[in-house]
Amino acid sequence: GIPLIALALTLPWILFPTPSTRWLNNRLITLQGWFINRFTQQLLLPLNLGGHKWAVLLTSLMLFLITLNMLGLLPYTFTPTTQLSLNMGLAVPLWLATVIIGMRNQPTAALGHLLPEGTPVPLIPVLIIIETISLFIRPLALGVRLTANLTAGHLLIQLIATAAFVLLPMMPTVAILTSIVLFLLTLLEIAVAMIQAYVFVLLLSLYL
Amino acid sequence: MLSRLVFLSANAVKSSGPLGAGLVQLSHLHTSPNSQAPVPALPEKGGKTRHGIIPEELFQLLYPKTGVTGPYVLGAGLLTYILSKEIYIINHETFAAACMGTVIIYGVRKFGPDVAAFADKLNEEKVQKAQEVKDLAMTSLAQAIQDEKKEQWRAEGRQMLFDAKRNNVAMLLETNHRERVHMVTNEVKKRLDYQIALQTLHRRMEQEHMVNWVEKNVVTSITPQQEKASIAKCITDLKVLAKVQQAKTAK
Repeated sequence: GIPLIALALTLPWILFPTPSTRWLNNRLITLQGWFINRFTQQLLLPLNLGGHKWAVLLTSLMLFLITLNMLGLLPYTFTPTTQLSLNMGLAVPLWLATVIIGMRNQPTAALGHLLPEGTPVPLIPVLIIIETISLFIRPLALGVRLTANLTAGHLLIQLIATAAFVLLPMMPTVAILTSIVLFLLTLLEIAVAMIQAYVFVLLLSLYL
Repeated sequence: MLSRLVFLSANAVKSSGPLGAGLVQLSHLHTSPNSQAPVPALPEKGGKTRHGIIPEELFQLLYPKTGVTGPYVLGAGLLTYILSKEIYIINHETFAAACMGTVIIYGVRKFGPDVAAFADKLNEEKVQKAQEVKDLAMTSLAQAIQDEKKEQWRAEGRQMLFDAKRNNVAMLLETNHRERVHMVTNEVKKRLDYQIALQTLHRRMEQEHMVNWVEKNVVTSITPQQEKASIAKCITDLKVLAKVQQAKTAK
């Protein structure tokens, strides 16, 4: 009776212990702290000072998505990010925030991004339309990318596992299918890289 | 790229390896946020586990009643029960679980120690930095103490130095004074010698002059007659002496 998405969204936080008051921690906290530091450092490199305000949000977003996706790889778990609703719910507000903030602070520069430099004069109207379309398609792309990749991955695992399972009485094919499943699994642990892509694209849209 | 390995291994490391039981227990220690000091020490190593997943305490718990094979029999029995009663059905997900388990275990076995060593190294570096600061501070302070002691010794020594210098100066003055006195006496003596020589000369000249005058007067007072008489006398004296002498020699 409990909606699974609620469980899947709340339980992973057990894995991240709160920052302790100690100076030297156990291995887990040390590793997590190191990882978060490195990631934030990398993330904030291209940004100016105004962009640093987004640090907390982006890092926590990254951690959230990584945890969700990695835990979804275990059997009998539910991955919330396979639902389009969640991904769009993450993508659209954040994208909209970057656009609106850009518009508010530097309207001319934000609009200026719609036109790349050095275009020949006759092409300008067409290019503006194209750039606007690309701007508006960004949240769609972000959300759908994440959804599609994860759903596809899960689906493939399920299907190939079913196939291998069904073929178990007939041996050899199973062996080959097993290896394929294993390989797919390792590839799927590049779900983490997906998160990098998500957050990084979000970052790129920060022309603050 | 290390991130997923970190997370993978962190996941497995946490649930299996060095700190599984200890971590969960510790998170319940600080239930009230105000009781922070003194912070209890972290266990050096995590709870011991057997086969990386099952804590050692289970084995210890069952040992008195069932011996060494107890927990294994328990596990096998549970598994058989679940499977036979179809509480857990083997379906395609089991297969996927097996593959995932293989990948995870492989990852942990292969990269676990490295990651653990890395985490330990991070902590070590932190400690070492602080230790360096502390050591540096200590050596510099010890050095400062040494220098201070030396300065104190020097300050004491300075008294002696001043005394020696004072003595030197006094000696120099003394020497100078004595030289001058010596010079003065020499000069005075020279003057006095001069006076003495002058007087001696004066007297000698007077004497000579007087002797010359007496001689001159005596010579002029000798008349020729006296001269003849004295010469005749001398001849007779000589003759007498000659006779005496001849007499002596004839004896």
